[in-house]
Amino acid sequence: MTAPILQVKDLKTQFFTDDGVVQAVDGVSLDLYPGETLGIVGESGCGKSVTALSILRLIQDPGRIVAGQILFKGSDIVTMSGEEVREIRGKDIAMIFQDPLSSLNPVLTVGFQIEEAMEAHEKVPEKVALSRAVQLLKQVRIPAAESRVNDYPHQFSGGMRQRAMIAMALANKPSILIADEPTTALDVTVQAQILELLRDLNHDLKTAIILITHNMGVVAGLCTRVLVMYAGRVVEQGPVEQIFKNPQHPYTWSLLQSIPRLDSDRHERLMSIEGLPPDLIKPPAGCRFNPRCRFRIDRCFHDDPALMDVGPDQEAACWVTMRRALSRNGEQRA
Amino acid sequence: MATAPGLAPAEAYVDTLAREQTSLWGDAWRRLRRNRLALAAAIFLVLLILVAIVGQFWTPYSYFAEGIAPIYQGPTAQHLLGIDDLGRDILSRIMLGAQVSLKVGIGTQIIVIAVGVVVGLLAGFYRGFVDTVISTVINIFYGIPDLLVALVLVLLLGRSLGIIIFAIAFTQWMNMARLVRGQALALREREFVEAARAGGAKANRIIFRHILPNALGPIIVQATFGVPQAILFEAFLSFLGLGVPPPTPSWGAMAADGFHAIRISPHIVLAPAIALSLTLMAFNFLGDGLRDALDPRQKR
Repeated sequence: MTAPILQVKDLKTQFFTDDGVVQAVDGVSLDLYPGETLGIVGESGCGKSVTALSILRLIQDPGRIVAGQILFKGSDIVTMSGEEVREIRGKDIAMIFQDPLSSLNPVLTVGFQIEEAMEAHEKVPEKVALSRAVQLLKQVRIPAAESRVNDYPHQFSGGMRQRAMIAMALANKPSILIADEPTTALDVTVQAQILELLRDLNHDLKTAIILITHNMGVVAGLCTRVLVMYAGRVVEQGPVEQIFKNPQHPYTWSLLQSIPRLDSDRHERLMSIEGLPPDLIKPPAGCRFNPRCRFRIDRCFHDDPALMDVGPDQEAACWVTMRRALSRNGEQRA
Repeated sequence: MATAPGLAPAEAYVDTLAREQTSLWGDAWRRLRRNRLALAAAIFLVLLILVAIVGQFWTPYSYFAEGIAPIYQGPTAQHLLGIDDLGRDILSRIMLGAQVSLKVGIGTQIIVIAVGVVVGLLAGFYRGFVDTVISTVINIFYGIPDLLVALVLVLLLGRSLGIIIFAIAFTQWMNMARLVRGQALALREREFVEAARAGGAKANRIIFRHILPNALGPIIVQATFGVPQAILFEAFLSFLGLGVPPPTPSWGAMAADGFHAIRISPHIVLAPAIALSLTLMAFNFLGDGLRDALDPRQKR
């Protein structure tokens, strides 16, 4: 296997608020291999976005990366100078955000903003920049790119705005694209188009993608590997198929159970995960999922599980794991 | 073309649809045009600028020639606005005075924008120590009475148009700085700034390419309101005898010239006073109109 292009090791990002220290990301590790698509899933507030922002060192006051390493091509982003990180942003690692309307500058044309993205890293003559901007818009399948390049963001539809954002992100041919909930603000048909676009770009340009989402369906459609986060930690990771077929952490299992299915009985109630994610200023002792876990045992209340091998290439941080939980309860999963 | 005769191709239709949505500035211009008061003000100001330019090359009479008609003479066919206390033609002096007022009004705003915008952007973008220092300086400037600062500067540096413009800008830049600082503080939190940062944009690009263009509307409005303030301030200084040195006519000085004779020949005071009032009003109406036109929440 090739070496990972990006390695995050035991990352801890905390926010020093008046109410206390929020442990938003608490010991997250991940490996990203060239050309792969890694999904990060979890509920809102579980640290997905903070992890992504930490990778580009975009965490702002009162937040801080307090520990860990982020190794990109062998050098540690955490300890780099500001200028070195700036060089990496947008050039090697690009990012797109959830809401394309607010991520685009309302008073600048789309073309100008794409040119800006290039100009951030190299001097490009005006003419070349324009033709490259048009080229990029074509690449993300914006019709009539030659005239659309002069439009303002409010003249674009939601899906086109996200395409424009992707075009900006691709302007410098990055090796990694971090997509933070890229389809959440879009309607369903457009979501599918954007995901398809991302898949094609991943395939054609060999850009590695970190896809952050709370939507398991999106992960299934796009990712090769998935990382499930809960309360600032990775609770399970592994190849997508395996995780979907054989989730071992009760949280992953619950997430999958909460997806509505066509083939299930219409009158059957959807399973929901009781309660809310914990307060990350004072997370619960032991396993952080214990207040909401229906399979918990005594040990979960005082002993914090680390990631353990639960299958080939699959790890879960759980004392029980679904395998044992299901056999204990004598349940059979469909 | 394969299209049926009489039918415009679909693309052309789509094109016209797209054309109707213009840029933000186009939108603003359309809204401004619909505001009659602002439009009248704008027309008045254009005329005033023309008068000032014409005054540079031609006036009915020389603005400094004294005794060309009986002093204190009221308006006549030859001297439409009458004659002042030294026997000079008031209309000619009003035309030249317009030049002074506009130079002061616009000149101060250029300095105010140059200083206030940069200082405000830096404070709002960098926050922290930079902001603390800048905000403290702003508050100190607010603490000093405007008139005192202007008087001291004029007395120290001399009475010339340039010094007066500088002195007035010296007392006004804080308004702009404070406004822009607030804008920058709000805009820096917007997602497109974070997106620019994620794209590797340098700080100065984020400040001037992403934050500044979004603050231009309020800056223009503030500057438009700043012009009449500056004009009034200059008129006031001139009225006190600290304005542009004679014989260059300034509306404030002209009003002061006629003040002692206000009972017998009010036209000497009234002419510059009315010119001043109309100009101040026009700038204020235009400022109001611009504020409404540039406010994106007012899509009508």
